Amino acid sequence: MEKDSDCDLISDLPESIIETILTKLPIRDAVRTSVISTRWRYRWASMTHLVFDDRSATDYTDPNTVRDRVENFVTKFLLLHNGPIHKFSICSSHLGACPIDQWLLFISRKDVKEVVIELGEDEWFRAPSCLFSCKNLTGLELVYCELNPPPNFKGFPWLKNLNLHQIAIPPDDIECLISSCPLLENLSMSYFDGVELTIRAPNLKYLVLEGEFKDICLANTPRLVNVSVLMYMTDHIANHFEQSSSCNFDKFLGGVPKLERLTGHLYFTKFLSIGNRNERRPMTYHQLKFIELYQVSFEDINEVLVVLKLIVNCPNLKSLQISGSTSAGARDPDLQFWDKNISEDFTLHELKTVKLTDVSGVPLEMRFIKFLLEHSPVLEEMTVTPSSYVTEGRLSMLIDLVSFRRASPQASIVFVHKSI
Amino acid sequence: MIEADSEIIKPEILKAYVWLQTSDGSIQQVEQEVAMFCPFICHEIHSGMGSSKNYPISLPPRVNPPMLSLILDYCRFHQVPGRSNKERKSFDEKFVRLGTKRLCELTSAADSLQLKPLVDLTSRALARVIEGKSPEEIREIFHLPDDLTEEEKLEPIKNTMDDPRIRLLNRLYARKRKELKERERLKNVEVEEDQADERSLDDLLSFINGGNEDSKASSSSKHKKKNRKRKDNHKTASTNCGISNGISSSRNGVQKNKETDEVDSDCSNPTFHGSLLHNLCNATKLLDIGDDRIAPSGDEFDSCDLDDDIDPALKEEIDREVEDFARRLNPDWPERMQDILFLSQRRPLQLANGNGSLRVFTSIDQRQK
Repeated sequence: MEKDSDCDLISDLPESIIETILTKLPIRDAVRTSVISTRWRYRWASMTHLVFDDRSATDYTDPNTVRDRVENFVTKFLLLHNGPIHKFSICSSHLGACPIDQWLLFISRKDVKEVVIELGEDEWFRAPSCLFSCKNLTGLELVYCELNPPPNFKGFPWLKNLNLHQIAIPPDDIECLISSCPLLENLSMSYFDGVELTIRAPNLKYLVLEGEFKDICLANTPRLVNVSVLMYMTDHIANHFEQSSSCNFDKFLGGVPKLERLTGHLYFTKFLSIGNRNERRPMTYHQLKFIELYQVSFEDINEVLVVLKLIVNCPNLKSLQISGSTSAGARDPDLQFWDKNISEDFTLHELKTVKLTDVSGVPLEMRFIKFLLEHSPVLEEMTVTPSSYVTEGRLSMLIDLVSFRRASPQASIVFVHKSI
Repeated sequence: MIEADSEIIKPEILKAYVWLQTSDGSIQQVEQEVAMFCPFICHEIHSGMGSSKNYPISLPPRVNPPMLSLILDYCRFHQVPGRSNKERKSFDEKFVRLGTKRLCELTSAADSLQLKPLVDLTSRALARVIEGKSPEEIREIFHLPDDLTEEEKLEPIKNTMDDPRIRLLNRLYARKRKELKERERLKNVEVEEDQADERSLDDLLSFINGGNEDSKASSSSKHKKKNRKRKDNHKTASTNCGISNGISSSRNGVQKNKETDEVDSDCSNPTFHGSLLHNLCNATKLLDIGDDRIAPSGDEFDSCDLDDDIDPALKEEIDREVEDFARRLNPDWPERMQDILFLSQRRPLQLANGNGSLRVFTSIDQRQK
């Protein structure tokens, strides 16, 4: 190497840093470093984190050309690659049917730990069986694909993160897959329509579900810390709900003592309200600090009961966020149950922030707000945002709010009034 | 009074300090909570070092005082727990607006102190510097040597060079590179003047004709005719298989050396010979690879594998461009043109091995004589 007065600045950095820098480049630029100098000729070829995405896409507009070039690039790259591959990620909407099978076969022989595949939405690819032979996988993310685990598939023994979105897989297989990954900590699934899901994952900590689930049962998830569920509803599922006899609340929240954060969207609260009976003494969620429930229908007394049941059993609740939803046909609710079920000296010792959005001012809702204000001695701020559908009722809402007794001397109520 | 004030202030603040020693021996006093942000310093403190001026923590050699102060600024900001993510992000963005050299030093220093978030941040910044730039630009920024041959550069990613425009660019770049290389060689050999050979041109030719013996360059004659001969030799010797380097460029290279002020005219001849032999070696090496690919065209000895898919019209255009380039730098063009044509008729490039290249000189030599 020539010794100029300004000598080489970068080639002497440690290999790990060079690898980090190359990984942060779009992969095409990383390959281009091969023509810089002799030392850099094959440095790119020992990268262990390969991320192929549309950042490296060429400027050709014809989709066929782009697809061919991307395929060629990946194939040649893999051919020239030298050394282990720890992460293989390919996210390109240009690729549909492509030599993904060959690439995965190559990768599976290289001790890969993390695989992310998101190809074009139009043609779902079929995951080849070599994917299931990657024994050292710790992270797997698949989008738009068909999964058919082979019969003798024993699971991924080291898998920690599993993200499946828009996957076609037989329902039994998905439960098998989840339960056969003993170290699974992070599970995220979306668009598994019409599935009755039972999750058995003893180490699971984070769970994110989205879709038209018929049923969700957390059968063995003692370590669960964070749950976020978005449930869509179809008529089919609504029927199923009506005919169901089991208590969803227990099925879902019966076995999660360490839960810290619960988030539910759309029909989640409705789902929880099905079959809700107060037979069993509910468990206390000592760690549950953050609850966010969206689209809670305050006209349905069952849903309100679910919310109450939850709150009553969370002594350390810190922050509560509830958004209401309006549905037609408000019946005149029986407000007596409130005083029956909740004792006077019940307090939420830690509750500091409450945010209520889409408030429509129905009686149950106002009663709920009153309840919160009366039983939260350390409340600092409550924000109330009325629903945009409510125009005339705002004033009476405000009047009621002002009249409620507050247990906390420093509580401030912020009524967010946006002019319509 | 100031001293009295400071005496009063000190016990009130009661901050813990640690002592750090950098590679140049200077010792600094730093607030402990700031320094502890670096895992390396943290470990050292736990093993008992750094509590007093006599036992400072010796920082790794890559951490020099300016880098240390940058790192401490970073630590000082980030160790405060109350900052929002947005604040931290915007601080980071401003923090890495450094020159490339300092960025590299900072990365190195942060790595040796095991400060991973800062290493990530600077690596990202360096990646942004590299992203989207051409190899030349990258070489310039980081002062990297351009020591790959044209063929090596094409090898791994050859198939992406389908575009004829890219090939043309390659040729022009290659020519430029060769010129720069020439200049470098001349500079280097200038330094190594004691190795200049005093043999005459005739000696040189006889050596070439005779075989691979002592490889010392020769001649200090500045005779114009001899110069031209040498240029011819140089030209053919430097035609490497697979490299798009026409005669004109090498000639231009030499010509440029003669015309520019960079090279001391006294040294031009021995240095030229130095380069001549270097190119001989190059030619030998690379000609071994693809002799059958050298199409004896009526034009310059351009690389032939690159020619394969270029249609003739484009090729002519390229050649014309090469000629223009040469003409601009070379007043003796008509003469040289004749040489080229003559040589091409003689088919000098049927070369299979080192000896083959020597045959080239023979033919030229005979012609000149």
